[in-house]
Amino acid sequence: MIAGAWICLLAPLAGALAITLAGRRISRRTAGWISTLTTFAAFGGALVAFVGLRATDSADREQLSTAYTWLAAGDFEVGFQILLDPLSSVMMLIVSGVGGLIVWYSMGYMHGDDEERRYFAYMSIFVFAMLLLVEAGNFLLLLVGWGLVGLASYLLIGFWHKRPEAVAAAKKAFVMNAIGDATFALACVLLIWETGTLEFFGVFEGVGSMSSTTVNLVALGLLGGAVAKSAQIPLHTWLPDAMEGPTPVSALIHAATMVTAGVYLLVRASPIFEAAPDIQHLAAILGAVTLLVAGLVALVQWDIKRVIAYSTMSQIGYMFMAAGIGAYGYAIFHLMTHAFFKALLFMSAGVVIHHLDGEQDIRKMGGLKGVMPRTHIAFLVGTLALVGIPPFAGFWSKDGIISSALATGGALGWSLYVAGLVGALLTGAYGFRLYYTVFRGESAGTEASHAHEAKGEGPLSMLVPVGILTVLATIGGLVVIPGVWEPFLHWIDEAAESLVEPTVVQDYGTSAIAVGLGLIGLYLARRAFFTNRQLVTNPGAWRVFEHKLYFDELYDALFYRPVVAIATALRRNVEEPIIERSLDEIGAGTIQVGGEVARVQSGLLRTYTVAIAFAVCVLVIVFVAVR
Amino acid sequence: MDGPGVGWYLIVAAILFGVGALGVMLRRSPLIVLLSLEIMLNAANLTLIAFARQRGDLDGQIFALSVVAVAAAEVAIGLGLIVAMARRRLVLDVDRASELRG
Repeated sequence: MIAGAWICLLAPLAGALAITLAGRRISRRTAGWISTLTTFAAFGGALVAFVGLRATDSADREQLSTAYTWLAAGDFEVGFQILLDPLSSVMMLIVSGVGGLIVWYSMGYMHGDDEERRYFAYMSIFVFAMLLLVEAGNFLLLLVGWGLVGLASYLLIGFWHKRPEAVAAAKKAFVMNAIGDATFALACVLLIWETGTLEFFGVFEGVGSMSSTTVNLVALGLLGGAVAKSAQIPLHTWLPDAMEGPTPVSALIHAATMVTAGVYLLVRASPIFEAAPDIQHLAAILGAVTLLVAGLVALVQWDIKRVIAYSTMSQIGYMFMAAGIGAYGYAIFHLMTHAFFKALLFMSAGVVIHHLDGEQDIRKMGGLKGVMPRTHIAFLVGTLALVGIPPFAGFWSKDGIISSALATGGALGWSLYVAGLVGALLTGAYGFRLYYTVFRGESAGTEASHAHEAKGEGPLSMLVPVGILTVLATIGGLVVIPGVWEPFLHWIDEAAESLVEPTVVQDYGTSAIAVGLGLIGLYLARRAFFTNRQLVTNPGAWRVFEHKLYFDELYDALFYRPVVAIATALRRNVEEPIIERSLDEIGAGTIQVGGEVARVQSGLLRTYTVAIAFAVCVLVIVFVAVR
Repeated sequence: MDGPGVGWYLIVAAILFGVGALGVMLRRSPLIVLLSLEIMLNAANLTLIAFARQRGDLDGQIFALSVVAVAAAEVAIGLGLIVAMARRRLVLDVDRASELRG
């Protein structure tokens, strides 16, 4: 069982190493297969671990396995250890399963690209990093996975390194994530200081004896890391730009890896956050704000991938909200269903983009329903699941989160509840705006869409994963039916006991409202589309949303410009006059002194011997005199 | 022990060393310089052997033997250099071989 977990962790690493070491000796296709099969091997391992864990007695479901002591300093020891428990087993299944489908899909999508081997090696590293993150048995290893995920995302977002926008986006993602990594690392240092260990259980035992300030600081540090990695306000600006990477990479970042890491951390470290309720509520509030902002911005974007990217931010906001009010089961449940339908949306969008030869602007799409019937169904299912129409996956998880907010009660609970419902309306609007614009109406009549009608919908390696995900996005939510059948929630409860549990009435009442709002959103999008209007008609609001609420401009003015100004000033006033010129002078002086000293080297042998003899005489006299 | 005391040997060795050193410093022919070097080495040898006799053990003598070996090697190289200079028809004068002047 634990062996399954180790296989799950190491198989993608082995795949990445194999592709890297084999280099040009293997064909690009082979590299793709190595990456795909090792990721599915990881899924097999995860499955073995999961089944084994299910068969184990429920008191015995936290299995810690240490390969070796990785780092030791005095009493402080960190092992290379993995933790297999209900939470990590679910995460392993999601990461390796959805990840495997995406890698498989990449084989079709990236076919013919210049550097496919490098691409697949990066993909395997990405999956490995994420698996390390979710399987880690202590905070340090979690941080290692955390950092590796950041690195892999940097490499993949900037995969098309000849495009300046892609390189800039990669740098932006890396810097934004580095901020989160730094706060996470500081929290780890505080934990070592206070508890003397980084192992999860040791830390959670020590939480009770910490002062409230320390706990708050630790929780704040962890929250900072989670916010950066999960692209929540205020560290969210990297996610839309990350769309510069290849589409399967976006799918991988948004569905299986990376952005879900923050939610995982909030749930994994729930004892710390529960000891610091203010910070936990802050997470919920940030999530609610993000879900509203991202939903509004998604209404006006024109890039098919950016719309989906903002919807990811919005959905992660729901998960943060759930984790923030202690509905851990629903947070992870929504993480799973979101992985299904978001991967589906990205991959069917990828099929469209592939079909249109890289066109991403939805104004140039339209009427694709007739040309791509299968993709149309997949995209429709993904959108229905995203909006939360029963019985699709998103319905079960999102409504659970909103009703948990209701069950929390109080001012906080009610405001989160309202935010969640407004979010449902927005989701319906932007989701179906995208669907109608791309697939319905007249064909936009661009050259691309006509030229490639004969091409079909793409190779089998793209369509099969999309088909599998369509099925998962349809039925994946049926593991939780409130009041009837909730094995998933009980399973997560074993790792992180939920703080709130909505009653059945709250659940179904909320569902009715949320679905109604989602349908209103659908109706608005449909009416706007058929009357040929935009969803946002106020030009002022349009401009604000189009500029993504001016976050980029704000950071530009707050951080980028002052730093550039300071750097320029330093260069002009310190670097050039003081440092550069002093170096020049040191160089010139050395040359001059060298020229003077060189005269001593007369080349006359006899002069040298006299000098030696003289020196020896002086030394002898000195020795004698000193003695 | 028969023979003169160690002091006399040291005086002779010092005179030999001085002669050698002056030769090295003053003469310009590389052959003479080499020869003077040999005189200096043998002065040192004489000192070693004198002390070895005084102390009654063989350490100094062994040391002197190794000095002889080193001297032989050094003469081989030195003579080789001189032959090489002669072959290139260079003037055999150490003052003229001053290409390393800075």
